[in-house]
Amino acid sequence: MKADMPIYDTRPWEAAYGSAIARELPLPRYRNLAELAASACERYTEKKAFTAVVPNGMNGSLTYRQVGELSDAFAGYLREVCKLQAGDRVAVQLPNSLTYPVVALGVFKAGCVLVNTNPLYTASEMVHQFNDSGANVLVIVDMFADKLAEVIPKTNIQRVVLSGVSEMFPAIPNAIVRGVQKVWSQVLPPIPPLSIPVERIKTALASGKAHQSKAMGYWKDVPSSAVAALQYTGGTTGVSKGAMLTHANLMSNVDMVLAMGKSHHGSDECVLTALPLYHIFAFTANLLSFFELGGHNILIPSPRPVQNLQRAIENYPITWITGVNTLFNGLMNEEWFTAFPPKHLKAAIAGGTALHHAVAERWQKITGTRIAEGFGLTECSPVVTFNTLVGKVRSDSIGVPVPGTEVRLVNDENMPVPHGEPGELIVRGPQVMKGYWNRPEDTVSILKDGWLYTGDVAVMDADGYFKIVDRKKDLVLVSGFNVYPNEIEDALAKMDAVLEAAVVGVPDANSGEAVRAYIVKNPEFAGELTKDMVVAHCKSLLTDYKIPKSIIFRDELPKSPIGKILRKDLKAEVKAEFNK
Amino acid sequence: MLSEAETKLLGIMMMVIMLGMGASLTFRDFLIAFKKPKGVLVGLLCQYGIMPFLGYLLAVLLGMPPALAVGVILMGCMPGGTTSNIFTYFSKGALALSIMMTSVSTLVAVVAVPSLIAFYSKLAGVSGEFAIPAANVAQVLVVLLVPTVIGMILRKTNPNIGATIELVGSMLGVFVILFLIGSWVPRNYQLLMTTPWPVFFAAIGLGLFGMLLGYWLARLLKQDNNRSRTISLETGIQNGPLAVLIVTITFKGELQQQVLLIPVLYSLFIVLTSSVITLWFRKNATREALARDSAKVGAAVSA
Repeated sequence: MKADMPIYDTRPWEAAYGSAIARELPLPRYRNLAELAASACERYTEKKAFTAVVPNGMNGSLTYRQVGELSDAFAGYLREVCKLQAGDRVAVQLPNSLTYPVVALGVFKAGCVLVNTNPLYTASEMVHQFNDSGANVLVIVDMFADKLAEVIPKTNIQRVVLSGVSEMFPAIPNAIVRGVQKVWSQVLPPIPPLSIPVERIKTALASGKAHQSKAMGYWKDVPSSAVAALQYTGGTTGVSKGAMLTHANLMSNVDMVLAMGKSHHGSDECVLTALPLYHIFAFTANLLSFFELGGHNILIPSPRPVQNLQRAIENYPITWITGVNTLFNGLMNEEWFTAFPPKHLKAAIAGGTALHHAVAERWQKITGTRIAEGFGLTECSPVVTFNTLVGKVRSDSIGVPVPGTEVRLVNDENMPVPHGEPGELIVRGPQVMKGYWNRPEDTVSILKDGWLYTGDVAVMDADGYFKIVDRKKDLVLVSGFNVYPNEIEDALAKMDAVLEAAVVGVPDANSGEAVRAYIVKNPEFAGELTKDMVVAHCKSLLTDYKIPKSIIFRDELPKSPIGKILRKDLKAEVKAEFNK
Repeated sequence: MLSEAETKLLGIMMMVIMLGMGASLTFRDFLIAFKKPKGVLVGLLCQYGIMPFLGYLLAVLLGMPPALAVGVILMGCMPGGTTSNIFTYFSKGALALSIMMTSVSTLVAVVAVPSLIAFYSKLAGVSGEFAIPAANVAQVLVVLLVPTVIGMILRKTNPNIGATIELVGSMLGVFVILFLIGSWVPRNYQLLMTTPWPVFFAAIGLGLFGMLLGYWLARLLKQDNNRSRTISLETGIQNGPLAVLIVTITFKGELQQQVLLIPVLYSLFIVLTSSVITLWFRKNATREALARDSAKVGAAVSA
């Protein structure tokens, strides 16, 4: 086998690093993420670390010193008040807000494990994730507290902490934002009566404050090999599973991200964080990387409509933007953005889903900076490859592997494919997860000899730049979120009127891909079956992005001789349809 | 008539309202509006083309005595009121366009309003003690531009204070009208009972016809439904408190009482008429949005 693989092992991509990017990663500097955070707070003390900005421009900020103190207090609360032990899981279900970094870093400082949860999840999705992770404490945004009545009795959650979007804002703006939420937009539901303690983040921090000084004691012995976060991602089997990301995984990915951008870093970076921090891309690229760098993170609680970003972009000297194709495209359709693009901008980073060629070109024309597209996956903390910020722009490429990362393309026999031929992209490096939480079979099927099998098929060009050509797995990528057809098919099958269903992705101008469902009606069912009924049913079970955007009724679905629905035949149909 | 203290209070409240309007703006908004001026120009045409003429027409057709005629003409010549922004928000209209129209019409007002008042007053044969001196109007408007600019600067330097003032200012816009109703109506109960119907007709009709004509003109000038609805509200809703302020500065005693009648009645009824119109617009906007959505889904399904 060894003789066949020199092409990837010689790392032909290193030439693209030029003089700007170090070939090797720096040696680990911190034991764990808690030390990374504590060290940054010591170095940058009075610099602003986070500013959360709501659409009307009202905002609140925390300095590095404040983040350090508050996260120490939250760690104290978790260990002394909630009586958690090192390794216990804490579910965090928050939009971007000042509470998020305080809680996330507080969880690390307590030696606990962060379970990032999408705030828009339905009750049944929450129940699955909390039970699978075994979370004991939940920090949730008060806007969705009404779901707790259904969720809490079905889980092992012992304590709930509530936080608002404008939490830690100055008093008057906080009162106004809350007043508007309550009276005007009516998005603050009453808190349902629960049998477990429920308190607001302010109270939790106040009770943890007494134990603030003990924080270092909680984390100083946490090894870098310990799990820091359970980052949930859909599964091919239809259930979402937790990727175990260790402190070392995340810290090495931070170093990789920083190495790729080093040529463009100054002493005062300001990054626009419109992507949700509970998603691994913004978590590593924005929160952790810019915290280590001493940057100022501008947190946007709700980036939709994209107009919500106007005040943030006007009022702060943004130097970096991370986003997905949809966001960049949306910004460029706004008059206020194209007339006055951020003048301090250095670069933009795209991930999550393929960046369209036209979007990248227009961005360069309007802002004078480039969008560097990267490729990653939850299981890799997430970054695997990245386009360089210097040298030639390569459109449609996912770039070159980041330093310290081995990448190969292999065929179905697990043999490296010759140069220029498509093969499954596999990754080995310090950012590769430890495995799936409590799912050894799933882990074995994706992690072999330290190599992570991404399921994406790619080709490499002569300079070592990679390009994704196809996806091996069936997942549908909607605006950067993985949608697994099985999960949607299961939900559809719960309808009495549905005999069987198959789900595939179709190209979509807005979200990259959208979900399409092929449905066969149950002949036993007497009533009518309409598209609206299907959508309404899905809405009761699934988060918005998972709901089929197009629905096609069929008399039958293509099947293999043993009766397995052939998704690949439907995909071929879709391909033919959109290539017309 | 309003007491000295009430006039002062009214002046202060107007200042805060304009501070709030300034805080809803940035200098960039103006630059963008000037780059693509069509929407704002159409709005200005409706504001200063339709409304003053409508005021004049009502005064003449209803054969109003000079004291009332000057009131209705003054009301027609006013710039857009800041409350139009709230109604636009509720009607799901083009909020940015509404704010821009209000502020541009207020800026232009310094020149446009004194000359329009003079022109239409003369045309209607109002003169002597009933005429409003152009200098008075210009002075009030210039004074009000100061808080507007301060508001804009506040917004830039401290977004928290800026956004707070923006909110306070827009709420005060409604409060001022309530204040007028509360302080003026009870004292003039007798007057209202004896007020002939043409006065009510003019006070209500000015806003209602203004919205109707504004919508049609905007559609005629190829603005889409949504923008036309915004321009319609913006055209019909005038800055009532500003008219009241100008009247109280210019006239005294019994005469002030008479001239005030139409601006106060207008301010009173415009809240009611625009609320009804807003509900209707909102329904249309929602229906159009739903139609757009289902068109998209339909396209995706048949694609």
